[in-house]
Amino acid sequence: MANFFPRWTNLLPFKIGICVIALGAGVVAAFTYYATPKTQAVGYQPSQPIPFSHRIHVEQVGLDCRYCHSFVDVSGHSNVPTSNTCWNCHQHVQKESPKLQPLRDRFDPEHPDFGKPVEWVRIHKVPDYAYFNHAAHVNRGISCQSCHGRVDQMEVVYQAENLSMGWCLECHRAPEKHLRPMEEVYNLEYDPEKYIAANPHLGVETTEELGLKLKELWQVQPRESCATCHH
Amino acid sequence: MSKRIWHHPEAPTDETTVAWRSTGQLENTAEFREWLEREFPRGAAEMANEEEAETSRRSFLKLMGASTALAGFGMAACRRPEAHILPYAQAPEWVIPGKATYYASSFPRMGGATPLVVTSFEGRPTKLAPNTLHPDNAGTDAFAQASVLDLYSPYRSTRVLKNGQPSSRKDFEAAFAAIAKDKEAKIGVLFGRDDSPTRARLRKELAAKFPNARFYGYEALEGEAHRAAGDGNRYVADFSKADRIVSLDCDFAELDPVGPVTPFFDRRKPEGRGYDQKPSKDGLNRLYSVESGFSLTGGMADHRLRIKPSQLLQVAARIAKGLGADAPAGGVPESDQRLSDWIDPMVEDLKEHGGRSIVVAGSRAPEVVHHFVAAINAKLGNVGEGKPLRFVATGNAGLGDIEALTADLKSGAVQHLLLFTPSNPVFDAPADLKFGEALAKVVTSIHFGLRTDATAHAATWHVPASHYLESWSDSRTANGVHTVVQPLILPLYPDCASELEVLAALLSEEGTLMTGEGEEGAASPAHAEIRKTFQGIAGEKEEDWKKFLRDGFYADSKYEDAEIELDSDRALELANAAPVPKDGGLEVVFATDGSIYDGRWIDNGWLQEAPDPISKVSWDNVALIAPKTAKELGLYDKIVKLETPTAAVPPDKEGSKRSGQLISIKVNGVEVEVPVQIGFGQAEDTIIVSLGYGQGFNADDELGRGPLNENHVGLVGVNSGFNVYPLRTTAAGYFAALDGAPVTTGRRYSIAAVQEHHSMYGRALAREVSTLEDKKKGDFEHQLASVKKHGMDSHVPPNISLYKAELPTDPLHQWGMAIDLSSCTGCNACLVACQAENNIPIVGKEQLAMGREMHWIRMDRYFAVQPLKDKDGNYVEENGEKVYDEENIELIPQPVACVQCESAPCETVCPVNATVHTEDGLNAMAYNRCIGTRYCANNCPYKARRFNFFDYNKRNPLIPANLYRGPLGEKQVGTAAHLQRNPNVSVRMRGVMEKCTYCVQRLKDSTIRQKRRQKEKSLATGDSAETRIGTPELRIPVDSVKVACQEACPSDCITFGNLLDEKDSRMVRAKHVERNYDLLNYIGTRPRTSYLARVKNPNGRMPNAASIGKATIHMHYAAERQTLS
Repeated sequence: MANFFPRWTNLLPFKIGICVIALGAGVVAAFTYYATPKTQAVGYQPSQPIPFSHRIHVEQVGLDCRYCHSFVDVSGHSNVPTSNTCWNCHQHVQKESPKLQPLRDRFDPEHPDFGKPVEWVRIHKVPDYAYFNHAAHVNRGISCQSCHGRVDQMEVVYQAENLSMGWCLECHRAPEKHLRPMEEVYNLEYDPEKYIAANPHLGVETTEELGLKLKELWQVQPRESCATCHH
Repeated sequence: MSKRIWHHPEAPTDETTVAWRSTGQLENTAEFREWLEREFPRGAAEMANEEEAETSRRSFLKLMGASTALAGFGMAACRRPEAHILPYAQAPEWVIPGKATYYASSFPRMGGATPLVVTSFEGRPTKLAPNTLHPDNAGTDAFAQASVLDLYSPYRSTRVLKNGQPSSRKDFEAAFAAIAKDKEAKIGVLFGRDDSPTRARLRKELAAKFPNARFYGYEALEGEAHRAAGDGNRYVADFSKADRIVSLDCDFAELDPVGPVTPFFDRRKPEGRGYDQKPSKDGLNRLYSVESGFSLTGGMADHRLRIKPSQLLQVAARIAKGLGADAPAGGVPESDQRLSDWIDPMVEDLKEHGGRSIVVAGSRAPEVVHHFVAAINAKLGNVGEGKPLRFVATGNAGLGDIEALTADLKSGAVQHLLLFTPSNPVFDAPADLKFGEALAKVVTSIHFGLRTDATAHAATWHVPASHYLESWSDSRTANGVHTVVQPLILPLYPDCASELEVLAALLSEEGTLMTGEGEEGAASPAHAEIRKTFQGIAGEKEEDWKKFLRDGFYADSKYEDAEIELDSDRALELANAAPVPKDGGLEVVFATDGSIYDGRWIDNGWLQEAPDPISKVSWDNVALIAPKTAKELGLYDKIVKLETPTAAVPPDKEGSKRSGQLISIKVNGVEVEVPVQIGFGQAEDTIIVSLGYGQGFNADDELGRGPLNENHVGLVGVNSGFNVYPLRTTAAGYFAALDGAPVTTGRRYSIAAVQEHHSMYGRALAREVSTLEDKKKGDFEHQLASVKKHGMDSHVPPNISLYKAELPTDPLHQWGMAIDLSSCTGCNACLVACQAENNIPIVGKEQLAMGREMHWIRMDRYFAVQPLKDKDGNYVEENGEKVYDEENIELIPQPVACVQCESAPCETVCPVNATVHTEDGLNAMAYNRCIGTRYCANNCPYKARRFNFFDYNKRNPLIPANLYRGPLGEKQVGTAAHLQRNPNVSVRMRGVMEKCTYCVQRLKDSTIRQKRRQKEKSLATGDSAETRIGTPELRIPVDSVKVACQEACPSDCITFGNLLDEKDSRMVRAKHVERNYDLLNYIGTRPRTSYLARVKNPNGRMPNAASIGKATIHMHYAAERQTLS
């Protein structure tokens, strides 16, 4: 009986197998890179109805985060300022700026937008089934910066961290990397090394030591069980 | 391969109680055993019908595969949807986005308003809780809890109707102003029976402006108590002062309140309210209950006498006679031996507790009984200062009743009628009054109501009423404390008007109706009116007014005492006229419904789905009949199919196909059809059927009754139940004699009852002890000590876990709960509160019948009966079988939710770790991780898990077969219902398992709130890096967090707290009392929720006292077939 298959086909199943595995691995690798929050969410920088610059307000005006996000240490939700918070100053300052036209419209009884809220585009978002609580973090020595980056230097706000569950857990497993003294929570220019140098009485030398000291001192034990965020 | 059935060890031989939840279980029907043995309920695992089979899993996957592939081409899904943040334009005072605000208000109702604290998220009221500051606080009941749903109900009336047709508010205002301008107008106003000081004041002003105006009060189930007490007078009970309580058909714990009821339950606990005293029977009260069928109050009773309703007069007369009270005996037939044997020792007991006892008759009992009861209480010295009863004058004096109104309507004395009553007189007034016909005679009738019910359609005008959470008003609680009704939100619909707004408009010169918000955001005119009333009572100080709004009540106010006038002539006259009970004649009791009251809640899905506390039937009313009578009438075998070994599915079917036999009952020639069920513990020769159902039917009705009054009800109430109001007359408003025996009509009607599924099968589930010494079980102390050893726990060796005992790690909080069965009545307050708090959907009758209800709390209701013993303590036997004491059937309720096992069987079987333990001891559910294998539910011995078979939140389960249409099915009506949702709880979708997690959102909120102490302390010390933060700062204050069920409970039977607080916590103290036991302890799950055995405090002189307090529930399984005679 003649050989139906030439000799080279002996290795064919093996080659096909290799290809399939490589392809599968490729798809998985591509998916994990391109379709996860790391790629999808980080750097999201939509344009806002009013081109509000955090940088100007922090660096030039010297505002604290809590002037506008006033309930961040009280509520789970960090509030976005109401129109009248903006209007407190901007009825006197930059009265003619065309950038502020949408805000002025909301205080102009003749305008159709009168009394309506400004529709800010949401940047930082965790899924609906995850209950992130701002108060729980800022009252325990986690700074705004840990999740939102150097917003004080942002002309236009973008998402600095990926806010995925793995990223949350990274910090919940090792909070010492992000803990800082309560006085520095809203100070986005905080530099742990300078702080340690300025406070020799704490008896710590490295950033890590400081974090571990605070963790122990404050009994910080972040949870890892599901119900911490999902209920 | 057949499933192996786990054979539990037998119960100890000295346990004799027979217990059951359902008739099927009592008779051990084939279907019940199938429920027990099957892995899933039948309908749950299979496709129920062809329609469902069409979208089989396979075809679904095919379709989904194809659509996913297609969707992939465009990659449209990869783009992030743009979401917006909308801050307030003008920041409202007090509102912090993401945090709840709380306002004091109250729910006005007959018998005294319920003081409330309303939770509001960004202006949406979502949840009601009792106002614990209030002196008349007595928790909330299911109605109060569910009332928030009415605000958002998609079936709520939203626009003005004229003669039943849509009209405009403008036209109505014009018609209304014309009446208001005519000072000679013959106006009649029909109020409810709740009491409002401002209404009382405006009534006087109206009488001054309109000399011809007349005022009436009506609620369908107002009863006759007020006739005996005199105009506007009422008895109010203070249960803390009562050692002995006799209830003559009065369900004071649930449907017929006579005063704040929490103190009554405090005295059902031998260790005291705080569980901090040595157990003693001295402080316990004793409840005697005389009634026809079980009420929840009767279920609590230490001694219970079953009588036909017409015998109530005999009982009252016998008590009066025994006490030598100043009451006429003439005309009342002597009570028979059975009654005397029971009553006489009770009267002795009452005599020993003169001045410290309460005798109450149900408000719906005949007037003559109330005359007797007044004489009894006067004789016992129970009324007055420092005594358990107060006789008060309410603000409702001077209101005519419905008979007077009907006469005035017919005579033309009233030409314009305003109806504010929450009842529905066209539907529910006594049939002989023919109120509908009388109403048609007036020139204008204006109906204000939340629903477009029969009266709304019969009236000239219907105006949607503002919900009480939308309007300014005031009310009085049981003792007359002046209490505010505050709006939490502006009326959702612009046509809405509230009662006080209408009265204010009627008083105004031009008759302009101002509702909701005035010009430039000014408050409603009702606000000014209640403030004026308040100033009249409390003075003009701004502080007092602010405090009134903040606390919700004005403490220095209560009803004035009224003068008691015993009218023995009237009593004698009535006693002579009272119908004489006939031997053998059947009587029907028109009961108040535990789910829809008088019918006003028929469109409330939470209440409709909450099973009736006694019959456990949802969505319908049924006629209950005693087993013995059912047998005599030949009905029993038609209701309960006795075990038929050959038939896999018995003739009355199972699950969604289960149906009840319809019987026809006839009173005074009027006939109605009702499905019949067995009512245990019910008096023979009585039929009990509740009122309020059968308000409207559409073409889908299974008995073909529709379309009939279809637009009187929404989708919740349509085709629901049977209307028995036509049988009710002025003379026989509570019960009536039947014309002959009821006959079966041969038709059947499907019934959704919940007690045949989710059966826990085990031993000594609910436990009970007696303060009375028992020959075998010893005295009270011994019985208490043996609670932990009831049933299986007496002889099963301690369980050894296969798993390492890894205790939860949180050093700050370890949550735990204790439920005291001694004070749990089995009302549905916790169940509905849980539904409101945790966004639990309703599933509709069809799904409920298949065992797919979603209530996280299952309110088990067991019946238990003891074998009779003779004087020597030997069992009485007949034909070699024990005889059971049918006179003393006991009822034990037991709420079961997830008990948060420390070694939870559900967790070990989840393939995706969707249910895991938290550090603080909760058995958590991660909904977004659940893939719906349902292994956890199968492995849960407590049957505490619920599965979303469909997307109940999104698709409307009330449209027949709608759920099976998948994405093509109709969605929920409107968006209003979403506004009620608790924003801190995920709304679950199809295919997800859910269960109680001890209101984890509340626990998180309280622990996070506590973290602010760190900020405070650091600020105080000035150097946070040197400030130690530990347990004192981070642990929440003792017992400072309440879970929803605990908060709602009127009987204070649920305690919750942190186990690490040790004995500072009331919960821990409760867990340390001897009555504490774990449910199904012997299987070694180590639950965090434990139960406290029920204590009965019987009177040793009463007949069969020995068989009371023995109702420890052992679920026998085919071991021994016991049937009631």
